Amino acid sequence: MSAILDMFRRSQVSMICSVLICLVYFSAVAIAAMPEDAPILISEPTSTRALTSVQAGRAQTTLAKVIEPSRQRVVTFFVTNLDLLNGEGKTAFRAELEDSRHYRFPLEIVSFERTAERQNVYALSVRMTGLEDLGDVLVRVTWRGMSSNRVRLAVGNFGGKIQDDPGSVPTPMPSAETSRTRQQNRGDLPWSGDRVRFMSQTTFGHNAALELRVRRLGYSTWLEQQMDEQSFLAYTYPDFPLQTTVPAPTCDGDTQPTDVPITCFRDRYTMYPLQNWFFKEALYNENQQLRRRVSWSLHQIFVVSGRVATQPSRMLPYIQILDRNAFGNYRTLLKEMTLNPAMGQYLDMAISTNQNPNENYAREILQLFSIGLDMLNPDGTPVLDGQGNRVPTYNQETIVNFAKVFTGWSYCNQTCGISQPGLVNFRDPMIANQANHDTTSKTLLNYAGATPIVPAGLSPDADLDAALDNIFYHPNTAPFISKLLIQQMVTSNPTPAYVGRVSSVFRNNGTGVRGDLKAVVRAILLDPEARGNVKTDPNYGHLREPVLYLTSVLRPFSPTSNTNISVPASCNGLSDGAINTITQPLDQDVWNPPTVFNYYPMDYIIPNTPLSGPEFQIFSTGTALKRPNAINQFLPANSTAAGGINAVVGAASNFPCGTRINLARLEALAAADTTGGSLVDTLNKELLNGSMNPQVRQQILTAVQAVTSTNSQKRARTALYIVATAPQYQVQR
Amino acid sequence: MKSRREFLKNSCAALTMTAVATQMRHFGVVDVLAQESRANDVTAGGDYKALVCIFLNGGNDGNNTVVPNYTAGYAQYASARQSQGLALSQASLLPITPPSMGGQVYGFHPSMSALHPLFAQGKMAVVCNVGCLVQPLTRATYIGGAPRPYQLFSHPDQVEQARTAISSYKSTTGWGGRVADRTSTLNPGAGIPMVSSIAGATLFNIGANTSPLVVTPSPTPLNQVLALNGFGTATDELARRAAMNNVRTNDLNFTMVQQASILTQQAINASAQLSTDPVLTVNFPATSLGNQLKQVAKLLKFRNELNMNRQIFFVELGAFDHHSSQLSPHASLLTQVSQAMKAFYDETVAQGIDSKVTTFTSSDFNRTFNPAGSGSGVGSDHGWGGPALVVGGAVAGGNFYGRPTSNGTFVPTLVNGGPDDADQRGRFIPSVSVEQYAATLARWYGLAEADIPLAFPNINNFATSNLGFMT
Repeated sequence: MSAILDMFRRSQVSMICSVLICLVYFSAVAIAAMPEDAPILISEPTSTRALTSVQAGRAQTTLAKVIEPSRQRVVTFFVTNLDLLNGEGKTAFRAELEDSRHYRFPLEIVSFERTAERQNVYALSVRMTGLEDLGDVLVRVTWRGMSSNRVRLAVGNFGGKIQDDPGSVPTPMPSAETSRTRQQNRGDLPWSGDRVRFMSQTTFGHNAALELRVRRLGYSTWLEQQMDEQSFLAYTYPDFPLQTTVPAPTCDGDTQPTDVPITCFRDRYTMYPLQNWFFKEALYNENQQLRRRVSWSLHQIFVVSGRVATQPSRMLPYIQILDRNAFGNYRTLLKEMTLNPAMGQYLDMAISTNQNPNENYAREILQLFSIGLDMLNPDGTPVLDGQGNRVPTYNQETIVNFAKVFTGWSYCNQTCGISQPGLVNFRDPMIANQANHDTTSKTLLNYAGATPIVPAGLSPDADLDAALDNIFYHPNTAPFISKLLIQQMVTSNPTPAYVGRVSSVFRNNGTGVRGDLKAVVRAILLDPEARGNVKTDPNYGHLREPVLYLTSVLRPFSPTSNTNISVPASCNGLSDGAINTITQPLDQDVWNPPTVFNYYPMDYIIPNTPLSGPEFQIFSTGTALKRPNAINQFLPANSTAAGGINAVVGAASNFPCGTRINLARLEALAAADTTGGSLVDTLNKELLNGSMNPQVRQQILTAVQAVTSTNSQKRARTALYIVATAPQYQVQR
Repeated sequence: MKSRREFLKNSCAALTMTAVATQMRHFGVVDVLAQESRANDVTAGGDYKALVCIFLNGGNDGNNTVVPNYTAGYAQYASARQSQGLALSQASLLPITPPSMGGQVYGFHPSMSALHPLFAQGKMAVVCNVGCLVQPLTRATYIGGAPRPYQLFSHPDQVEQARTAISSYKSTTGWGGRVADRTSTLNPGAGIPMVSSIAGATLFNIGANTSPLVVTPSPTPLNQVLALNGFGTATDELARRAAMNNVRTNDLNFTMVQQASILTQQAINASAQLSTDPVLTVNFPATSLGNQLKQVAKLLKFRNELNMNRQIFFVELGAFDHHSSQLSPHASLLTQVSQAMKAFYDETVAQGIDSKVTTFTSSDFNRTFNPAGSGSGVGSDHGWGGPALVVGGAVAGGNFYGRPTSNGTFVPTLVNGGPDDADQRGRFIPSVSVEQYAATLARWYGLAEADIPLAFPNINNFATSNLGFMT
């Protein structure tokens, strides 16, 4: 079988070679309007029609002008201008065609190999089955978030009304040494675009000081600085004393009907103080940006909700585990999370006993925190059985057995030093009560190299470690966690090649350590699919979730306390962080996700597309206009008011300092350049990483110029409003 | 006077966006379920029908929602639930006597007093033992490995299947959306999409050609649910508005930019339609579900102005996943469901459309008959088939419906490890599939007979697509 395949491959490649030889003559044609690092699909010498070969019969290939989808199942295109990593192959690419009706069809790539004749030309073969006679279509490939030029292909018959892309030119087979005219990227911002995107991926938003620091240090050193343990160990968390489960009739415990302070209940039994703390950290703590960003991503994987925890004092230890382990080891995180009392309460492990085992934690640790539902290949794609069906990772019996492992653990209310009478200990890890632990043997996950049977009679702790190792070493864990983190930080639809590269680092950080999240985060952020000046792949990126959308608009413009009233000196001129009032109506109520499936489900498919887009689940007609309304609140263009969240005086105030931003530097640009060009170009650079379309630039300029030139405040607000509310900004690309 | 449709056509941005939407609908997803509507056109305002899905998220404990109240039945129930403290007292049950159960008395949970009278009035039916299935199953065929829903007993998957009415594969469309796809010609000149969700965009609402209008619940007035704030009428304000609209028509080759753009445009279009806040007759409870159904009632009241003949609504109440400490929160949720559904029914009576609006419940799954834990901490784990409630003037109410279980009645044998249990904990194997339940509702709504197997691709695996609970 493989001999036949080899023979076929050889003959195919040799056929391709003869094609190359006859085309060597044409070379070195400049490609208009393409970033220099984009892949190039090769066309015929004098047209934009694809150079293709087809599998006409076994062990034969021919050049074909018209692809007949009923007979020709595989078509080979030729790609150049690549620079591949070791092991980078077909899973790093995607292909799609668009027909004259503008319907787009993804194409399955069946093979990708270097041609023998041209070291810099690759043969990429796609499956064409399932297509009708479409006439001329345009085909692209994407690689590392970059789209190639689109070449024309006749499917079924020639013709049809589809136009070439603007500026499209023939891209013939290159000579041995390619020479191309270098093309500056949009906005004339060579490589600063990548830096801004890097900051979008690693922080809660760009600002000038951060930009300068990253520019001076370079990505790697900046990452090391952010991952530094010493600065984190020196960090002091706010102190929230543990409270009784049921609040006293008056929160402060005395007999008076009015609490002192009046905010007693709010501060002890709601997420309010933690939400404010979170936003202040996001806005101001420059040394912990990456840690908090990763921690925030981990929160959305290992979900606990304040709707159940209720007290900030119960929630904070959980958050500290996320922070502490953001650059630690996944195995440590998994154990600390399992024994965290807030998690124990949220998913019922704290009440699960051998007499009454509870399946909740057992199910979710497998489904959401580690391996997921379907067996995965190392690159995150699902394993398929002989019938093409997905293969479940576990069944109900597995859940029952894991549930036994997790029995007997509960709050450390008596023996821990911190315990106080009448209070439930949500600070120390849960401890095991041997009498409540199921000591029978357990049959856990079975996979190559696994020890699925945990023998009877082990201690609760030994059982737990055996089970967590059983999960940790499962082949799914690396791709499952890697892909979720990529989706949180970089792009909703990473190529399997990208997931594969990160998951290989999860399996082994280079020094034999598995689960090193520091190495995983570094691999995610320094991957070529995350980096690069512009990203032209039509499916690249992800929608900014409400929290990141808002902080990313605030951080570049010096957020401060508000000026609507005289705020207390204790504000230090800073925002109080009471910003959840904006994100909550956008369906992201910080620390209060509605269910264990997060603020939005990580497997959400954008309706009417084949794409993953988790954040789109909370972007609907119902929230779509609340986003621009939130922007309007901070920069009311039809007003001269300061905007922002007003500070309110009084002991019961939820907004002691308020929040506003300062557009003085944009106003200065508006005043200095009355065409509005500097203003718009600055926003292009800082918010859109240089990706602004020239037409968009003109449309914004038109609106800016409609404002009288002496009104710099309104010009600045007008420009920023349009940019910040644009779908082009809401999607982080 | 211009019709609303002309208004939309004359809006430049709307036209552009329509083209985009059409393009996106076919984005590489050749959905065999996507077909043109077959239903006959009707004159605007000629007739009206609406379906309202109330999704009880987390898995409602149906075993404590509808309970056997006759002596032997209650004894069976009590023997499974009483010792661990999960049984409701027999005296507290609100009695009902469904003729199809041969005169045996059943009872609703005591918290359902608001809704209880509707059963005797014939405005409410119970559909027994509904759940996700790929094909009919018995305990023997289940244990023998017969095809079953993917990821049985997992929340997101069972929620998904309850909403798609397809349990054999992961569908990208929901059954509400697919019914809307195939009945769209019943809504000529509709001012807003056929499907509205008061609980966010969920799979239930999405079809091959259908996207929902998503609005926030009351107390937000209807004319403020989709308002775009902060624009004045001066020249520079109009220029800002124009630029905002124009920018949105660029870069549509980027799929996510395009989707964000389409959704924003849909919101702006709908915003122009929802210009007043109707006043209702009935007072709704100020609860999560009460506020959602209140917003639905307002949209209903606005149906003529919006030029709607057919509407599908989706509302949701969460927190039914009671693994522990179930009794009190479950009672309070059922109180909420009962009061909100009753207020909504009364409002449809006041609007004169009680026989044109059908409200029904759906949930991930029932819970285990066998309790989890005991005492005050008692709860229950993930189960399978359970009862669903249907309310409205067009319901053949006052009765139980379903398909025969192992004992020949519509109610499974309530015994852990018994002939209807999937295992030992009382996860009852459904005798009615979600698609049978849904198809019965969809047929009443106006889905053509020939379209039923197209909207519900697995329906022919089951004996009937009409359970008979709709008149």
